[in-house]
Amino acid sequence: MRSYECNRAANSSEVECLPTPRVVVIGLASCFGCQLQTTNMEQHLMDVVGQFELVYWQLASSEPMPQEYDVAVIEGAVTTLESMETVRQLRQKAKTVITIGACANTAGIPGIAAAGFNGHSSEVYSQGVPNACGQVIAPRSVESVIQVDYQVPCCPIDFYDFSAVLSRALYGSNRTVPNRTMCGDCKRNETQCFFEKGELCLGLVTKGGCGARCPKLGRPCFGCAGLSKDANLDAARDSVARYGIEVAEFESRLQLFNQTNEALCEGAKGEYHA
Amino acid sequence: MPRTTISVDHVARVEGHGNVHVVIEDGVVKDVKMEIVEPARMFESMVKGRSYKEASYISSRICGICSASHVITDLKAVEQAFGIEVSQRTSMVRELLVYGSYLQNHAAHLFVFATPDFINEASIFPLAKSNPDLFAKALELKGLGNRLCTAVGGRSIHPITAVAGGFTHEIDAAEYLAFADEMEAMVPFAQDVVDLFAGFRICDFQTQGDMLALVQPDYYPVQSSDTLRFFGDGVEDFATADAFDHISEYQVDHSGAFFAKRASNGKPYMTAALARINASWDHLGKTAKIASAKAGLRPPALNPMLNNVAQAVELVDALERCARICRELAKGEGSCVPAPVCPKAGVGVGVTEAPRGVVVHKLQFDDRGYVVKASITTPTAQNLANLECDIRLLAGMLAESGTSERIIRAEVEKLIRAYDPCISCSVH
Repeated sequence: MRSYECNRAANSSEVECLPTPRVVVIGLASCFGCQLQTTNMEQHLMDVVGQFELVYWQLASSEPMPQEYDVAVIEGAVTTLESMETVRQLRQKAKTVITIGACANTAGIPGIAAAGFNGHSSEVYSQGVPNACGQVIAPRSVESVIQVDYQVPCCPIDFYDFSAVLSRALYGSNRTVPNRTMCGDCKRNETQCFFEKGELCLGLVTKGGCGARCPKLGRPCFGCAGLSKDANLDAARDSVARYGIEVAEFESRLQLFNQTNEALCEGAKGEYHA
Repeated sequence: MPRTTISVDHVARVEGHGNVHVVIEDGVVKDVKMEIVEPARMFESMVKGRSYKEASYISSRICGICSASHVITDLKAVEQAFGIEVSQRTSMVRELLVYGSYLQNHAAHLFVFATPDFINEASIFPLAKSNPDLFAKALELKGLGNRLCTAVGGRSIHPITAVAGGFTHEIDAAEYLAFADEMEAMVPFAQDVVDLFAGFRICDFQTQGDMLALVQPDYYPVQSSDTLRFFGDGVEDFATADAFDHISEYQVDHSGAFFAKRASNGKPYMTAALARINASWDHLGKTAKIASAKAGLRPPALNPMLNNVAQAVELVDALERCARICRELAKGEGSCVPAPVCPKAGVGVGVTEAPRGVVVHKLQFDDRGYVVKASITTPTAQNLANLECDIRLLAGMLAESGTSERIIRAEVEKLIRAYDPCISCSVH
């Protein structure tokens, strides 16, 4: 892993002499919400920004993109040949690549359009996709194009998760990233299970760590953290059926944030044009 | 002046990816293109075939900053299609959520995006050193909007609790009252913000386009009205349900977003805080109205650069309005528990005033409550045609008086930012 911490470890005797890491922030196909979230903890903002040199951030500054930088923070899904090239260049130049939010991590909501992509684009643009959109391709995650060192999960990201990942990238950490599904979080929170109310919830297959924020507020999980590596999809389908919920509804809900995930069965994924 | 082309690739400090090109020949503007190069995300086709339960969750993701507006607009479309009436309390909590995003949006736009234009900096960060009090207070105001959205919606963006027919969770009376106190305490700063922006020098010109806003008798509506008004070249009131009969969208090759014009006269138009203040000036709260008048902003105000001042006036108005709503909600009358939803085949049109202007979601459902067809238009998509006309007007005026290319470029960028475009939103 080409992370900034390696660089730091190699020079551990001269920690204080290390240059301030230079960070660039880049937005691809997204709602820009995760970039906004990085500013949404106002009282800590300057403490966080003070840890590095923010050399490119189009959302907040008109300074142009520099030639050299250490850390690339990427938001959004890859949806054009041009953005595919952009992320490849970012990987070449940056020591560390961090993706923030569901769009970048799993193709997220834009990823829904990956199934039968050409049909989606011709339906919206009846006169053909405008040149201004670039050379559109089926949406995909950043990780499917380049190696990613760190991910900040969810839609939108949580500011504290973001600052934890940043500090991990800049200073290192021995904390492991959990693979568990979200279901257990509800048990700990003592939230009533949605299945008992006859409602579908994706907590049983989705990556945990968000604290089950939505179920705590009365809304079932829609799976924005992406499928957990521990997810047992077949067992989940059995559970769904046992509670009298249509398995087709489960498959359809899974597509919201996991359309391009290899783990989804062909039926759930629909046709996927590259 | 010989032929020159002013080009800004990737206009900074706006949401999304846009370029602008202005061709000037012998002091005359020959061509203006606002290129919208944002990646297309195809929301209208993505919600097709999805349940009403997922529609608002998906379309929230059109825009990070006005997600609350997209959710409420979508829910209103669902409710109209299924014939659901929401309680008065639900309507009030929704208004609070929409206003929370006004505070977030206007504070972020005015300080992070617009202010650097007027203090000759590339970003807001130098202000942390040069004017730490203003910087801290601006962040505090933006933070208040975030916390209001978090309290009401469950998180600062992409609200969790707002569903068809009501809310799945509500804060308690003490929290409402604490917010009311904080809102009232923030009003003097918002008044200062109006003065600050009124003091910035802007070019004197008027948009030639029309304007569009929600209107309601005796009220300054952001989500509670069923009537839209075009004004400028003739006043035209119409039902929100007929929005797409009066707004004509069209495709252009240099933009991923559809452009729009007023169907009845073919003119471009502006929808924004400035349009709202022109349409509903009489219904602004007293403090906001005085601040606005003092700043020289009163109808007809047709200089689009004044949209910055209009947003500042709305901050004052929103704070007082939210405080009042919070105190009312703290009394605990009524309920937000979601009304029962019985899907049926039909069409619904939701319209609200997002922070940046009128947003329309039209949804057609089958009898199981699955989306058959969706049409969505956002404020920025509607504003693009008018913005191009205004850039032409402004650049022409400056070029004619022999202004340097550098200044024309700076003023054009200022104008674009004054519209507070949300380009990512416009290419949905």
